[in-house]
Amino acid sequence: MNIQEYISGGIIESYVLGLAGPEERAEFEQYCSQYPELVEARIAFEISLEQQALSGTTKPPAFIRENILQEIGKGAKVIPFKPVYGRSANIWKYSAAAAVLLLAGSITWNISQMNQNKTLSSNLEKANENIMGLVAEIGKLQQNPNIKMASLKGMDASPQSFATVYWDTASHDVFLLANNLPAPPTDKQYQLWALLDGKPVDLGMMEYNIRQKKLLVRMKNVGNAQAFAITLEKMDRPDPSKPGGDMYVMGKL
Amino acid sequence: MNLNTTYSEQELVSALRLRDEKAFAYLYDQYSGALYSVVNKVLPDKELANDVLQTVFINIWRRFDSYDPTKGRLFTWMLNIARNAAIDEMRSKGFNNNRKNQPLPESNEVAGAITGPAIQDSGLSKVIGQLKEEWRVLLDLAYYQGFTHEEIAKAMDLPLGTVKTRIRAALIHLRTLLQ
Repeated sequence: MNIQEYISGGIIESYVLGLAGPEERAEFEQYCSQYPELVEARIAFEISLEQQALSGTTKPPAFIRENILQEIGKGAKVIPFKPVYGRSANIWKYSAAAAVLLLAGSITWNISQMNQNKTLSSNLEKANENIMGLVAEIGKLQQNPNIKMASLKGMDASPQSFATVYWDTASHDVFLLANNLPAPPTDKQYQLWALLDGKPVDLGMMEYNIRQKKLLVRMKNVGNAQAFAITLEKMDRPDPSKPGGDMYVMGKL
Repeated sequence: MNLNTTYSEQELVSALRLRDEKAFAYLYDQYSGALYSVVNKVLPDKELANDVLQTVFINIWRRFDSYDPTKGRLFTWMLNIARNAAIDEMRSKGFNNNRKNQPLPESNEVAGAITGPAIQDSGLSKVIGQLKEEWRVLLDLAYYQGFTHEEIAKAMDLPLGTVKTRIRAALIHLRTLLQ
């Protein structure tokens, strides 16, 4: 096919403006994956359209901005949650230092399980480096007066599991420290949830890779939370905004 | 909020994926005017347009995970969300009640009803307004009113092929006007 003719035939404009039918769209996307010049031409049109659309526009009334920012600050929509079968917990006030010690123990244990051989010492060195970096990162978090901490204790599915969530009450940033979570099966991954009035809010999937494990992971922001929980979820499940799998850890702020 | 923060498109997308509310406020400040123009063009009723704009931005926030940068730029994605939401609202409010059972206005009525670019036209509709009458009417029906090519062909008593060819020609000309 003659890609230049296709490019100049109006399909780009039709696609970008949302006027193309489903078959045309599918065909266009297919060609985009084959012809970089088509993608370039599409982007050029998108930019010129954007520039034009941004010129001489009127500002919407200010209350709309207020409403929207207030609405998104409330967190996500309400979703019914699978009942939690946990034991009541009262030791939420672990210090960050204790968390690091537990993690150090966990990593050392993991490594000694993985390698009963000569690479042990170099791995241990790497682990130590990681831990030093982590201590520095947690130190920074601790200096921030807005940070609140939640210790997530193992539930019935995995009583040995343990994780820590740091939540910035001002910026709403969420950091997760996976102190001890078993390696998930290859078709599953962990997902973090904020709980507000018993309803879960998705804070994202955790990429789990024991060998290059990122110790302290930034998750999605959340405007408000009373507790946090981690579930083990199937990858590619139809609706990742709702929890479906077993709960591994949970803890209140 | 730091008003001086600016983001590249990529930075903005990454920040929004991390649910960064500051980045979202920036997104709103940058693009709300452009999206508001399109919504207003479809829905001249200010209150409805305000409601739709609000819903559009909340949906952009909530469904940000569904934005796929390989399929288009961020603004393109938002513009389509805004246009579709406005057209849905227009239909649900009965502006074109039972549209399926009603013919479109006769072509001369259409031409009369859409008498050239309004003075307050800005942004995209300003460029569409520069097209020749025959093309402008077609783009108005297709883009701002969401009629399918088939519906337009039927209402204007034109062969479907002619409608398609003219809309394509109008779009190609639109690109040269934008450049």
